[in-house]
Amino acid sequence: MSHAHRPRAIDGQAPDVFSRDDTVPMRQFADTDEVDFAIVGTGCGGGVLAAKLAEAGFSVVAFDAGAFWRPLSDFASDEREQEKLYWLDPRISDGADPLEFGSNNSGRSVGGSSVHFQMVALRFRPEWFAARSRLGYAIDWPVDWREMWRYYDEVERACAISGPLTYPWGPDRGRYPYRAHEVNAAGQVLARGAEALGVDWAPTPLATVSAPRGKSPPCVYRGMCKIGCSTNAKQSVLVTYIPRALDAGAEIRDLAMVTRIATDRQGRATGVEYHRDGQSRFQKARNVVCAGYSIETPRLLLNSANARQPTGLANSSDTVGRYLMVHLNDAIWSVMDDEIRWYKGPPSMACCEHWNYIDDHPDKDFDGGYAFMSQGPLPTDYARTLVTNSGVFGHELRRKMALYNRMAGLKMVGETMPCADNRVTLAEETDAFGVPRAHVTYAHDDNDRRMRRHARAFMAQMLEAAGGRDLLETSSTAHLMGGCRMGADPETSVTDSDGRTWDVPNLWVCDGSLMPTGGGVNPSMTIMANAARIADRIKTLCASGTSERAHG
Amino acid sequence: MRPSARNTRNRDTRSAALGIGALAILGGAAILMQRRTQPKPRPKPRRKLRRSAAIMGASMLVDSAMEHFRGGFHNKAMLAAPVLAAASTLGATARAPHMLPVHATSVAVGAAGLGFHGYNIAKRPGGFNWDNLFYAAPIGAPGGLAVTGLLALASDAHTARHGRMLAGFTALATLAETAEVALLHFRGAWHNPAMYLPVTIPPIAAALLLEQALHPNPKTRGAARGAQRLMAAMGVVGTGFHIYGVSRQMGGWHNWRQNAFDGPPVSAPSSFIALALSGKAALDLMEGAP
Repeated sequence: MSHAHRPRAIDGQAPDVFSRDDTVPMRQFADTDEVDFAIVGTGCGGGVLAAKLAEAGFSVVAFDAGAFWRPLSDFASDEREQEKLYWLDPRISDGADPLEFGSNNSGRSVGGSSVHFQMVALRFRPEWFAARSRLGYAIDWPVDWREMWRYYDEVERACAISGPLTYPWGPDRGRYPYRAHEVNAAGQVLARGAEALGVDWAPTPLATVSAPRGKSPPCVYRGMCKIGCSTNAKQSVLVTYIPRALDAGAEIRDLAMVTRIATDRQGRATGVEYHRDGQSRFQKARNVVCAGYSIETPRLLLNSANARQPTGLANSSDTVGRYLMVHLNDAIWSVMDDEIRWYKGPPSMACCEHWNYIDDHPDKDFDGGYAFMSQGPLPTDYARTLVTNSGVFGHELRRKMALYNRMAGLKMVGETMPCADNRVTLAEETDAFGVPRAHVTYAHDDNDRRMRRHARAFMAQMLEAAGGRDLLETSSTAHLMGGCRMGADPETSVTDSDGRTWDVPNLWVCDGSLMPTGGGVNPSMTIMANAARIADRIKTLCASGTSERAHG
Repeated sequence: MRPSARNTRNRDTRSAALGIGALAILGGAAILMQRRTQPKPRPKPRRKLRRSAAIMGASMLVDSAMEHFRGGFHNKAMLAAPVLAAASTLGATARAPHMLPVHATSVAVGAAGLGFHGYNIAKRPGGFNWDNLFYAAPIGAPGGLAVTGLLALASDAHTARHGRMLAGFTALATLAETAEVALLHFRGAWHNPAMYLPVTIPPIAAALLLEQALHPNPKTRGAARGAQRLMAAMGVVGTGFHIYGVSRQMGGWHNWRQNAFDGPPVSAPSSFIALALSGKAALDLMEGAP
């Protein structure tokens, strides 16, 4: 059975992700047990936090609306089948530039979107953590970059990132645990273009191993990474932190949709209401952590409004759902003379962060930065890109798809500005559980448009320098950041730097929605590093007995 | 014991311990046998050298045939390596007469191959950087063919002076081989602690051999000989590790048609056996053995 319709983590057993059909023992808690932490979401935020808190001796139940997959037997080499990994529940999307939701900005699995991410493991530029004070735009993070960089180290080790020995940009980052993979032909197009233009390039640090790692065999370059790795070479949260959490005594509740956070008269969280296997249930908890990412975390907080907090939990600042960000994901595609076969290997094996590390250049007419990477879309994905962007169809589409093996592409990950009006609210329409659907409003600003123009021109120049012809431009967005940002000021942020909400002392947020700015790199490593940091902060607060401190 | 959900926490220490144990037994036995069989006449250096050339040649034949086949022989010159490795191996094994031109060609082609491989590395974006050293044509590999030819040619050696020259040459070849192993095991992130063995034992063996070449000293010759035996045992155990390494690829040996190419090269560690035989032949010559 490829689709998991019934929970698998039951009866004291959880799926063994390294097997085809085995299980491993799992500690279980009763709904009436008041657990230390109920964590909603098991991705880069919740998964990391669950493992580290359980390892520190806390009792932890982590909920996920998605299924608990065994990649070896559940994942097919089929784009359509693997849509089961995405959050495809309808959302209402509007604004001047409505966002499209699905493959590249959502996940619905134990392990979250890391199960289908492209494994790009980049770090924020240090200055971005102080974007306002050092670069003059957006807002500062309430965290020092050196602290974040220590946690990048930690999560990169935990995920055995395969990266280059020398990285051309930013401060020295030590040695990646595994060596970089051989750059595929699609990546070499970027490399040749970069050398022709005289800018640096690097093999992309990737979360897939280049040599055996325990039960993970080295990557065999099947190229299906984006629809779920079926060999376990990919070091997703599902195969790294989730097994760690299980070993440490955390319970993972798969196919468990949390619909509401309950609070007592004092306004403190008391547990979560959730649906699982056709039943409505309530889990008692001393602390609740939202880790459902930038749409579902705000949705849950807004839907948990009570008499004392009528506009939503932890929303006295009216910041919940606001400052939602995406990444510009525009791309340039071109026909090459040589056969490229870009589907071979991880999709983005070479990257260029040139414009992330340049501040004063006469050509740079935008704030923030962007990286771009070589591309390797699977056939359906690429056909969809062609159809939606250029409207080609019939014979013309067939002709363009016949060039599939000779195509190369460069795609940007461009920072957008945090803007209060880009936000998540609740729609009137409700889902199957009776929870109002998320209503997402989004508009790009002029800075986004200037950056997009700049990136398109630069990527086109590089592709041409590498020998590309018949260039095609496409537009898209990827990733989500913000929506429940952390900050130093309770008036303009939802949580403090520890991820604890200003309004409810035992309610926390730990996912990408905390990010005050988006940066010009894929966010997964930053979300994981931040979660690892928050876990240590929670341990410190509890050890010093201040976790119960009311504040705000 | 409660089964663990997680991936292994540490490096593959269990297989490493097993392998190192095997090496201790095998290497220990080899060194002890050396003491016991001392009075018996040893095989002649000539035979050792021919065996050495044959093992090195066979290793080169398998490796170059597989790797160049994988490269689709896209340059016809790529055929030269397996053809000459086969010819030199056969020549050394069959003790065929008049093989000098063949072995000399192997030496020349091996040397030329270094140029080809260097060009393959240099022409890639990034040139001589780590990534290309890891994944482009292996920089030192063609040297193995040249060493095969030279070992075969050296089988006519018969004086102590020849022995010193051979010891020096073998020591340098061992160090070159060690450098290649270091590069490739570094690429593999030393994911198994046993991967440090072939960058530890061979340099010691090479140093002891080099000492004999520069300052022949009968007192320390036994240590040099023991080190060669240990290195040969390491070649055997290393082959076992590489067979195991292929099994750790996705699909293991069931998928041998891909994994024999993508996994660690099974034929590679045996080159240390060849070098150890050559080292012992050199020591024999220096001792004035027949």
